[in-house]
Amino acid sequence: MADTEHSRRPRGWLIGIREAIPLLGGYIPVAISFGLISTQAGFSTAETMAISTLIYAGASQFLFVGMAASGSPLWLTVAMTLLINVRHVVYAPNIAPWLPRSRWWPWLMHGLTDQVFALAHSRLPQLPESQRVGWFFGAAMLAWLSWIAGSLLGAVGGEWLTSRWPLLGEVMPFALPALFLVLIVPRFTSRRWAAALSVSVAAALVCTLVGLTNIGIPLAAACGALCFYMIRLPETAGTDKGTTKEGRPS
Amino acid sequence: MSLELWIGMIVAALGTYLIRLLPLLWMQKRLTRSEADGPVDALPKWLVILGPMMIAAVLGVSLVPRTPDAAGWLATVIGLGVTLAIWRRTRSLGWPVVGGVLTFGVVVIVARSLM
Repeated sequence: MADTEHSRRPRGWLIGIREAIPLLGGYIPVAISFGLISTQAGFSTAETMAISTLIYAGASQFLFVGMAASGSPLWLTVAMTLLINVRHVVYAPNIAPWLPRSRWWPWLMHGLTDQVFALAHSRLPQLPESQRVGWFFGAAMLAWLSWIAGSLLGAVGGEWLTSRWPLLGEVMPFALPALFLVLIVPRFTSRRWAAALSVSVAAALVCTLVGLTNIGIPLAAACGALCFYMIRLPETAGTDKGTTKEGRPS
Repeated sequence: MSLELWIGMIVAALGTYLIRLLPLLWMQKRLTRSEADGPVDALPKWLVILGPMMIAAVLGVSLVPRTPDAAGWLATVIGLGVTLAIWRRTRSLGWPVVGGVLTFGVVVIVARSLM
C-alpha cells in the first residue's frame, strides 16, 4: 500500500520544474534584454552565454557588461559585481535546516538566486525529505536553463523580438510579483508580521523607484526586520512570538 | 573579450558562487554541532525573521512595472488583486500567477487604448 502511494507521488524534480514555471515569465524577458544589451555592448553571443551560465545573477550581469564596455577598471567591475550579489549570503543559511544530507547541495547552490530562494524557502518545508534534493534540482535547473536560453535568444534575435512583440516583454515579468505575492501572503499571520512584511515591501518599492534596486533588497529586508523587533502590536491570535515550533514564521 | 576580461568574468562568477555556497557550509556545520537540540533551533532568530523579509523585499522590487505609467500601475494593482483572489480560492502556486499575468495584460491593453 505504502509502495503504491509512493509510486503515485510525482517525483521531486518534476514538482520542482512545475512549480518553477512561473519564474520563466520573469526570467526570459529579462534574459532577452540582457542578451541584447550584451551584444550591443560588443560581447559576442558565446561570451554572452558564458556570462549568463557562469555568473548567473541578473542585475550584476548588466552591471558587468556595462562597466566593461565603458572601460571601467577590471578590479572595480568585479568588485561591484560581487557587491551587488552580497545579499545572497543570507539565502542558504535560511533554507539549510530543510536540506537533507546530500553531496549535491554544494553544486546546486549555483542556482540559488533571489527567486529560487523565495520559492525554496516556502516550498521545501512542505515537501517530504526524500523529494527535496530533486525538487531543488528541478526548480533551479529550469530557472538556470531558461536564463541561458533567454540570453541566447536576446543575443541572436533580441532586437527583432522586442520590436515584434513589445507588449510581451512588459506583461510576462508580472509573473514575478504575482508569484512572490502568493509566496508571502501566507506569512501575514499576525499584525506584527503583517506590519514588518508591509514595511519591507514598501521600502523595497521606494528604493526601486529612486533607482536603488540592488541595495534596496537587503535595505528593505533590514527595515522590515527592525520593524518586527521594535513594534509590539496587539495580536489577534496570540501569534506574536514570531516563529512556530518548527521555526517557520508564524 | 580579452584574456584579462575573461579572467575578471571568471573571478566574478567564482565569487558569486562562493557567496551562495560558503554560508551554506557554515550553517551545515552549525547544524551538525547542535544536532542534539534539533536542527531548526540552531537557526539564529534574526535569520528566521530575515528570510521572509527578503522575499517581501524581492516582491517590493518586482512591483514596479516595466513601463511605470498610469496604465502600468493600474494593471499592477488589479493584477495583484486578482492574484490574491485566485490564491484565496485555490491555495495553489500556478493558477494565481496565470490569472494575475492575464489580468495584467488585459488591463494594460484596455487602459492604453482608453488613455
